[in-house]
Amino acid sequence: MERNPMRRQLAIMRQSLFDQGHVDEQFVQLEELQDDANPNFVEEVVTLYYRDSARIILNIEQALERKPFDFRKLDAYMHQFKGSSSSIGAKKVKAESTLFREYCKSGNGEGCMRSFQQLKKEYATLRKKLGTYFQLARQAGPVETASRPK
Amino acid sequence: MHGNIWVVQNPQGSAQSMALVIRFQLRPSVSITINELGESSDQPCSNSLFKGLQVLLADDDDLNRAVTRKLLEKLGCSVSAVTSGFECLTSIGPASSPFQIVILELQMPELDGFEVAMRIRKFRSRNWPLIVAMTASADDDTWERCSQIGINGVIRKPVLLQGIAIELRKVLMQANKV
Repeated sequence: MERNPMRRQLAIMRQSLFDQGHVDEQFVQLEELQDDANPNFVEEVVTLYYRDSARIILNIEQALERKPFDFRKLDAYMHQFKGSSSSIGAKKVKAESTLFREYCKSGNGEGCMRSFQQLKKEYATLRKKLGTYFQLARQAGPVETASRPK
Repeated sequence: MHGNIWVVQNPQGSAQSMALVIRFQLRPSVSITINELGESSDQPCSNSLFKGLQVLLADDDDLNRAVTRKLLEKLGCSVSAVTSGFECLTSIGPASSPFQIVILELQMPELDGFEVAMRIRKFRSRNWPLIVAMTASADDDTWERCSQIGINGVIRKPVLLQGIAIELRKVLMQANKV
C-alpha cells in the first residue's frame, strides 16, 4: 500500500489506464525496462512515439484528401503506425488501426475515413492521459524503498 | 582438422604417452549454461547466457529500435544499433566481425531484412553470425522464407522480453549443437 498520497494517486491513475483499455501488457513491458539508469524510459519512449507518429498521421490525412484512395498506400502507412502503437501498448489506437487496415483491404473508403476519425480521437485522448500521468510521476519523485518501522 | 597425433613408446614397447594436436580457429566464445533440470518458465533471463553477447540490431524505426535495444541490454547483451540494411552490411563486413548475433527487422525501406540476410549468408558461413529476424507479420510463409535464406530465428513484434529471450536462447542452443 503506497504511503505517499501522490504515489497512491499515481497508482490509481495507472490502474485506470489499464481498466479503461487505453494501454495493454506492452506498456508494462516498457515499465519493466525503466531503471535507475533510465528513470524516465517510458515517458521518453511515449514522447518518441508521438513525435514519429505525427508524421504518419499527416501522411494519412493527405492521402485521404486524394481521390480515388490509394488503399495500398494507406494500408502501408497504417501498418507502420500500428507497429509503433503496438510497441508502446496503445491498445485502443492499435485496435482502430486494425479496423482501418481491414477497410483498406476491402476498399471501403467511407469506413477508412470513419475509422481514421475515431483513431485520431483515441490517439489524442491517450496523449492527454499519459501526459497527466507522467507529469504526476515526475512530481511524485522516485519510488522509495519500503522500510520497516524500527 | 589439420592436426597431428603421435605416440611415445616406453622401452617395453607399449604406449607411454600420446600427443594429439588439433588446429582450431579462434572465435569469440559463446558461453552456454545448460540447465539440466530444464527451463523454468518464470526465469527467462538467465544472464549467463546473454551476458556480453555481441549483438548488432538493425531497425529503421526509431521507436522500435530504442525499445528493442533496451530489452537486449536488460538481458545483458552488448548492443550496437544501425538504422538501415546497408549500415548493417557495412558493420558486419566481409572478414570477421565482433557480432555473434544480428537482429534484423524484415520490413525496412531500400534494403529489407531478407536481402540483408541473403547477402550475409552468401559471404559468411551458415551460423556465423547468427541471424534473428523481427517482424510484425509472422505467418508461415515468412518463417519458411526465413528458413530458406538461412535466418536462424524469428521474433514477433511487438517485442516482449520473454519472447526475445526464448528465441535467442533457442538459436544459441541450436548453434552450439552443430
